[in-house]
Amino acid sequence: MSYNKSEEKLKREIFSKRDNTIKNKDRIIAWPRMGRIDIPLKAIVEQLNSRYVIPPKNSNKTLEIGVKNSIEGICLPYKLNLANYITALDMGANTLMMFQAPGSCRFGNYTTMAYKTLKKMGYRFDMVVFDMYKNKMKQTLEALYHVTKCKNPIRYYRAFSLAFSKMFAIDEAEKQLFYYRPREIKKGESEKYYKKWLKITEETNDIKEAKKLKEKIKEDFKSIEIDKEKSVPVVYLLGEFFVLLDPFTNMEIEKTLGDSGVEVQRQIMFSGWLEHVLKPSFIYKQESHRQRCERFAKKYMKRPTGGETIETIGDTVYGAKNGIDGVIHIMPFSCMPEIVSQNILPKVSREENIPVLSLVIDEQTGKAGYITRVEAFVDLIKRRKRESEKCQNQETP
Amino acid sequence: MKKETGIPRALSYYNNYPFYKGFFDELGIKVILSDKTTTKLINDGSKFVVSDTCLPIKVFMGHVNNLIEKGVENIFVPSIQSIGYKINNCSKIRALPDIVRNTVKKKIRIIEPVLDKTENIGIFDFCTQIANSFEIYDKKQIKKAMENGFSYYNNFLMMTQSGIPYIQALNNSLDGIFEKKNIELVRPISLCIMGHGYNLFDERISLNLIKKLEKMNIKVYTSLDVPKDKALFALNKTGEIQYWANELELTGVAAYCMQNKKIDGIIALSTFGCGPDSLMVNEINYHAKDKKIPMIHLTIDEHTGEAGFVTRIEAFVDMITRSKKQNLIKKQELKPLIKEKQTEIQAERYKRDK
Repeated sequence: MSYNKSEEKLKREIFSKRDNTIKNKDRIIAWPRMGRIDIPLKAIVEQLNSRYVIPPKNSNKTLEIGVKNSIEGICLPYKLNLANYITALDMGANTLMMFQAPGSCRFGNYTTMAYKTLKKMGYRFDMVVFDMYKNKMKQTLEALYHVTKCKNPIRYYRAFSLAFSKMFAIDEAEKQLFYYRPREIKKGESEKYYKKWLKITEETNDIKEAKKLKEKIKEDFKSIEIDKEKSVPVVYLLGEFFVLLDPFTNMEIEKTLGDSGVEVQRQIMFSGWLEHVLKPSFIYKQESHRQRCERFAKKYMKRPTGGETIETIGDTVYGAKNGIDGVIHIMPFSCMPEIVSQNILPKVSREENIPVLSLVIDEQTGKAGYITRVEAFVDLIKRRKRESEKCQNQETP
Repeated sequence: MKKETGIPRALSYYNNYPFYKGFFDELGIKVILSDKTTTKLINDGSKFVVSDTCLPIKVFMGHVNNLIEKGVENIFVPSIQSIGYKINNCSKIRALPDIVRNTVKKKIRIIEPVLDKTENIGIFDFCTQIANSFEIYDKKQIKKAMENGFSYYNNFLMMTQSGIPYIQALNNSLDGIFEKKNIELVRPISLCIMGHGYNLFDERISLNLIKKLEKMNIKVYTSLDVPKDKALFALNKTGEIQYWANELELTGVAAYCMQNKKIDGIIALSTFGCGPDSLMVNEINYHAKDKKIPMIHLTIDEHTGEAGFVTRIEAFVDMITRSKKQNLIKKQELKPLIKEKQTEIQAERYKRDK
């Protein structure tokens, strides 16, 4: 163990080339974008009395900057992250924050690469990285202390509880949106509700109110008129973490599916993942998502192999056993862990009798062809569901 | 159960075969190797997996297919997860047994030992898992087999590090011969090749790159010439850390050669879609630019034609030869000047002393 510890220390020293020359007053914090992660992070930084910059939403322009400055063979999330850093630095930021999980895939090497590339481009900044492998909470707090120099523990408590309840609220709103979008009578009503609640969540700064948000959202969504007799097939959305959570990267697949009358269920939610990662094991007693996946995937995969491979396989089996109608599997081009699951999924699909569609996304993907494939898949699922319902009706009399 | 196992001639075979051979021989298990890689074998292998999968995995599947056609029941597919604390392998290598199990339709028995140092599953556990799957539970016997394996492996390493080519060293170590090469040919140009063992020493994948270079009268340094501890030390000296399990074969060797050998250029050999390589080649490119060492990145996939490949190497070598010649001419022009100056200085000193 002593050997391990010393090696880890050396790694941390090399990884965190922290720059202490920037004065605390001048620090302006920035982080890469992924979905709506900016709302909870903003809450934390505001509570700790620091200034921040939020880069604009991911768009084609962002992608262009990323592709221009990164190497050819790397995956799509890195390109977007790098572009976020560059735009943030141009906007005046000087402290970049990022978490990483070594041992998963190329993700653990993102920051070292970005550090070198940005230094070569001539920027002056401080990169603060915290590991998500072991003693995560300690490292997270350490990184936050380094950035903000805030010593008050009550402030940390406030910041984290606010951020967590905001995150739960956002995820709850998303779940409700997934449920109501295919069933609504007036098109676009649930999306309006979702946007309204996002705005409210962003503006709340009181802990007590933030904790109530989740319930309020549940109540409010009930006022949407829905078609109760419509038969709605349910689809699991699985795959790589970043692509699932970032609507620009997956080309708003959730909206496309919802509008064509399919309910989407996403198993990977940011709040769920972060809760499992950050909470100490003696507090977090229920079976985590990952453990459930390992249990279900045992027939096909005997060991976790980094990334979200085991989640993809486990959830597909779980879905097939719980009456889910289909699985859509999304991944960026040349993603190493997801290629493994893409190789295994055909057998799972055959043996568990569940349709699976694998979609590979890179910067060249055209939207038209992409949507055609999704539509064809939706047609297939709907037909399957109709036929199975017919069979059941015939059996009952 | 038959006491025989098939080892595919791909991936970990190229670096660890002497160990496997020694280990299995001592346990009394017969080893059957698959045939050498051919284009047909690669085409057969790529039918099993998705098109996005990288070339080495396709080649591996081809060898597995070859073994099945030969009628082998047990196939040895190790899952090498990590070789040090948090030093992991590529996901595809880690999930190798799972890929094989789920893509091959015929019923085969896969021997899938796991090596995972992050979770404290060391080399002894690795060997025990192999032995247990052949119903051998005696710890002493396993230890003895391990020792035998290591003696083969160490001989192999010693021979390659003294400068004996790969195939000769492999055959020697398997036959129990130990020889050392003391005289080294001096060649005008020396190059460092960074590439995974399974790409570089496979004659079909690398299109005989090493032999081609040696025909052009070039001294080649590969991962076999450099001991691992020295490679790691050199890598840390450049300010990088070992992140991937097979990083020392690429960045470690390149860093060592840049610091200690007088190399004229670096050739990076990688396969299309290789995740770790895309980062490691860039890492070395960054340092090579600082030292002004020319570098070429060759990417291969199953469709790579030999003609285009050779042209690129020739152009690279020509460029190096020309720049080296120019440097030599410059030095020769400068030399007489230096000599004159030295004689002047000596004369002055002589006068002063008097």
